Amino acid sequence: MTPDGGLSSTGSLLAVAVGCAAASLWLLLPRGESGLRERAARRFGMLLGAVALALFVATGRRLGGVGEEAVFLIVALVAVIGGAATVVTRSPVYSAIWFALALAGVAGVLLVLGAQFLGVATIVVYAGAILVMFLFVLMLAQPTGMASYDRVSNEPLLSAVAGAVLLGLLTLFIGRLSAGPGECCAVPSKAAALAGSGQPQAPVAPEPPADSAGVDPLAANHVARLGGELFGRHLLAVEAAGVLLLVALIGSIAIVSRTPPDERADAAAWRANA
Amino acid sequence: MTPAPLVVNGLVVGAMLFALGLVGILARRNLIVMFLSAELMLQGVSVSLVSWSRHHGDWGGHVLVIFVLTVAACEAAIALVFVLQAFARAGRLDAAAWQSLRESVLPRVVDRELPASDAAVMEFPRLTPAGVEPEHDPDAALEREHV
Repeated sequence: MTPDGGLSSTGSLLAVAVGCAAASLWLLLPRGESGLRERAARRFGMLLGAVALALFVATGRRLGGVGEEAVFLIVALVAVIGGAATVVTRSPVYSAIWFALALAGVAGVLLVLGAQFLGVATIVVYAGAILVMFLFVLMLAQPTGMASYDRVSNEPLLSAVAGAVLLGLLTLFIGRLSAGPGECCAVPSKAAALAGSGQPQAPVAPEPPADSAGVDPLAANHVARLGGELFGRHLLAVEAAGVLLLVALIGSIAIVSRTPPDERADAAAWRANA
Repeated sequence: MTPAPLVVNGLVVGAMLFALGLVGILARRNLIVMFLSAELMLQGVSVSLVSWSRHHGDWGGHVLVIFVLTVAACEAAIALVFVLQAFARAGRLDAAAWQSLRESVLPRVVDRELPASDAAVMEFPRLTPAGVEPEHDPDAALEREHV
């Protein structure tokens, strides 16, 4: 397969996939319809979404082994399908539960990419804490059934097209990145940058990517080295993050426990009378 | 510097999650679903950062994702408090309930002729009563042993 022919066919496949994704999102987003029409639109949208996903899978890069490829495919599909369902589901409670599924998929993708600590932290922090908080607020704020504003969208067609254009541009750029050593988007290596700061030298050959052989360079002693990096080089940032957490805690309590000004004036008048 | 296939696939998954979150935050009107979409965009960015970290053999992406998690937790706490306050004032979680904050040149959002509900009527089986209903003692309902 020549690079040019492969590129153009991949590009057209990607264009079709992005178009299918846009149409699918438009059909699936709530548009204030009901009954048979909505059900038909939903079925057709799911079909188009499946076509788009299959095209994306077909244009994806082949990984080394069949097992690795299957695992990545499954977790990536779980993440993307969960994300799409989060966006298009009418009921916000179901939306939050689909988001939990998407989080599980994202954690799987992170694990496959070699980020063991982050995969587990995503599950613990997001699915364990943040999502439960979302559900709690949903139960507090929406005790009755589906509201009218959950069955309509702001400009579903324009939104779907905007998302598809963004996705198309990003995949186009990513495909070009991997197509070959183009001069336009070659990332300058550290060695070249260091050489440029000192005395002028002969151009340094670009260093090979760290992951050239498909082996994760960060795999050995992963969590220990991540901790060393976090509490060594980024210690100040960790302190700042701790302060941010404290400020958010105090701020949220302060905001939620503040009584409205008119009630406070009433209370003050009542106390003055009594 | 051609990225490895796994890195490219991870970047594509990150891009898809980010685009889905963008569609959600543009289209949906429920405040909480909008926040969920924003979190989805953060997840997409996290996947991309970890992919680049693997590509460069550098810890920067991992450390950034840890800070993204921290800031997301803070953001969720503050944002949900604001959503609760907005709900207490407006009585609904609709973003269009706050449309008086829009630019004066923009048109109003008006909802016409929404279907009352698209939920199917639930049909539950009716069990035939078994046995004989005993005589009710009207005083027993008023009797209080505790309190």
